[in-house]
Amino acid sequence: MKSDPFVKLIAGISLAFALPWIFIVILPFIANSNLEALPYAEGEEVEGGVTAYPDKAFYRHGSSDYGRQIYAAEGCAYCHTQVVRPTYAGPDMWRPGWGGREADGLARETQARDYMLETVAPLGYQRIGPDLSNVGHRITTPELMHQHLSDPKSLDYNSGMPAYMHLYEESPYGEGLVPTEKAEALVDYLLSLKKDQPVPSRG
Amino acid sequence: MTVPQPTPEEIEERATIDRSTRFPVMFFFTSAAAWLLAATLLGFLSSLKLRVPGLWDECQFMGYGRLFPAHMNALVYGWAMQAGIGVMLWLMARLTRNPLRHITAILVAGHLWNAGVALAVCTVWFGFGNSVPLLDFSAWVWPIIALSYTLIVVWVIPMFRQRRASLTYVSEMYLVGAAIWFPWIFLTANILINKGTAPVMGAGLSAWYITNLIYFWMAPVSLAVAYYIIPKISGRPIFSYPLATASFWLLAFLAGWTGFSRFMGGPFPAWMSAVSGAATIFILLAVFATVINLMITLKGCSKLWEYSPSLRFTVFGMLMLALYAVLSALSSTYSFGKNLQFSHFIVGLDTLAFYGFFSMTIFGAIYFIVPRITGAEWPSGDRIRTHFWFSTYGILTLVITMLIGGIAQGGDMAVWDRAFSTSYVNSSAYVVGRATAWALIGYSNFLFLYQLAQMFLGRGRKSEGPTLIHAKPGEANSAKAAAGLS
Repeated sequence: MKSDPFVKLIAGISLAFALPWIFIVILPFIANSNLEALPYAEGEEVEGGVTAYPDKAFYRHGSSDYGRQIYAAEGCAYCHTQVVRPTYAGPDMWRPGWGGREADGLARETQARDYMLETVAPLGYQRIGPDLSNVGHRITTPELMHQHLSDPKSLDYNSGMPAYMHLYEESPYGEGLVPTEKAEALVDYLLSLKKDQPVPSRG
Repeated sequence: MTVPQPTPEEIEERATIDRSTRFPVMFFFTSAAAWLLAATLLGFLSSLKLRVPGLWDECQFMGYGRLFPAHMNALVYGWAMQAGIGVMLWLMARLTRNPLRHITAILVAGHLWNAGVALAVCTVWFGFGNSVPLLDFSAWVWPIIALSYTLIVVWVIPMFRQRRASLTYVSEMYLVGAAIWFPWIFLTANILINKGTAPVMGAGLSAWYITNLIYFWMAPVSLAVAYYIIPKISGRPIFSYPLATASFWLLAFLAGWTGFSRFMGGPFPAWMSAVSGAATIFILLAVFATVINLMITLKGCSKLWEYSPSLRFTVFGMLMLALYAVLSALSSTYSFGKNLQFSHFIVGLDTLAFYGFFSMTIFGAIYFIVPRITGAEWPSGDRIRTHFWFSTYGILTLVITMLIGGIAQGGDMAVWDRAFSTSYVNSSAYVVGRATAWALIGYSNFLFLYQLAQMFLGRGRKSEGPTLIHAKPGEANSAKAAAGLS
């Protein structure tokens, strides 16, 4: 075959792209798609009669599916990560409450199955604020979470978080601020953020 | 050794080719410059909001989580890619000595592209985004962007196929590569992320998309410009053509593996970030080979920097490309990267790519192209000089403050028993640098848009000699003459 420089160039740039495309994009994507839940072995103690990891009930709370969209739309992920790195990559696991319930020996780094209810794992871009992987264990009541969103400075004077006032409206009955549907959903989502479900021993 | 002088027929042929590109290329340049001004404004507001969190609390459109992605989308799709597309079309026409055809189709697709960018920015800004950096827009927007890109850039391929020059230039290789690689990475990232079956890979793909956009599209287009402008203005051939070709292939075979090292320690198999990190480090070879090759070409012509706006912007852009390659290689090693991951540094790094090397090189190309296609010279060399220095100080301020601020922030975050808010308090002063940088860049681009609009409206200077920096209009008929080089 006569070698045409055009064909050679197109073949070269396609090959240059196809190799990483197959090996670092497509194959890992297939391997990570629709991960199956891992069952617990006989005799492994898990609270609440849960039989497999991940368990959807563990990750869902009220209208957290709508709250997930609010989290994404407000760009929360630009300042908050949801990834707990193993200790070789950073001290995330040592920070109180970041890795989950340390007191029960359940703190761990995040794993692929922890994000099963997301469409894109909100791993984040920057850490202006703390990691939220396990914020549902650190802030446990809706009232406190609403206060965090509407008046963060009242909880930590050094907080760099803005008040999300557009998610709240003034009550017509003089009861102060009342959350909108969006705020309720966002709080449900934040309370659902727990990434410390025990991983089966053979998983 | 000098390049042979063109014959009168060749000069006439070039003028015909230049005239054929006038309307689409000027359309892309001016609308890109308008987007750039919008992007700098959004960048300034988002930095201000980050520094003073209490600002505009009542207004949902002024949250950092919406302003910042709107800024990034406007900067990348509105300005950088659009201006880059304009440069691609002109450069391909010139290199292959083919007049640009299908002007109407390209102009229609150009409007479609602008509509797509406007929708992308607005869906993010109005609260329909999905927090995936640079792919945040609503899922129905990406087909518009992909389609309009294809309708514009597809014409580059037949032009290359029918090239009338005897050689294949390395600039052409970069342009053909960029033309084909972008749709591939854009479609892959959008389709897989919106499929949503592998959430963790979706996040990894967003990082892969950003570094691939930089190394598979921005670097090739800006290198095509540098390989054209630097020999053209200095009147010397590229120092080593085999080295230029070799570094093209090295970059091409490495770029696709980058990206996952941004999430080192994340919920991926560890080999992915290791491979990405290694590829990012090996790219240093390609980038250094290229930049050194270009600098040796310019050896002994350093005075040209004083006079030629195109050369000055292009050379600065190439130096920033080297800086970007070094900083991203450093940040993909564990020892350096784990502390800078998730810090201000990442903003500095991305902006260095979008503005530092890509935009600066493209400015160089625009200062070269516009006088040729409009048949008039830039109104003021002083304004070009101001544009250069304000942009340079702006981008350097941004990169340096974000690097030091990132080290401060990462250092605080690395101490596990220090209150987390310490990292915010100690690093937030550096965000002032980021706001200042966008103000400086904003002023420089106001001047740029003003001059470009004058050229667009046919109010350029009618003169024989080009507009040079540090030389009176018409004083010299080329930067080489002004610099006293033969």
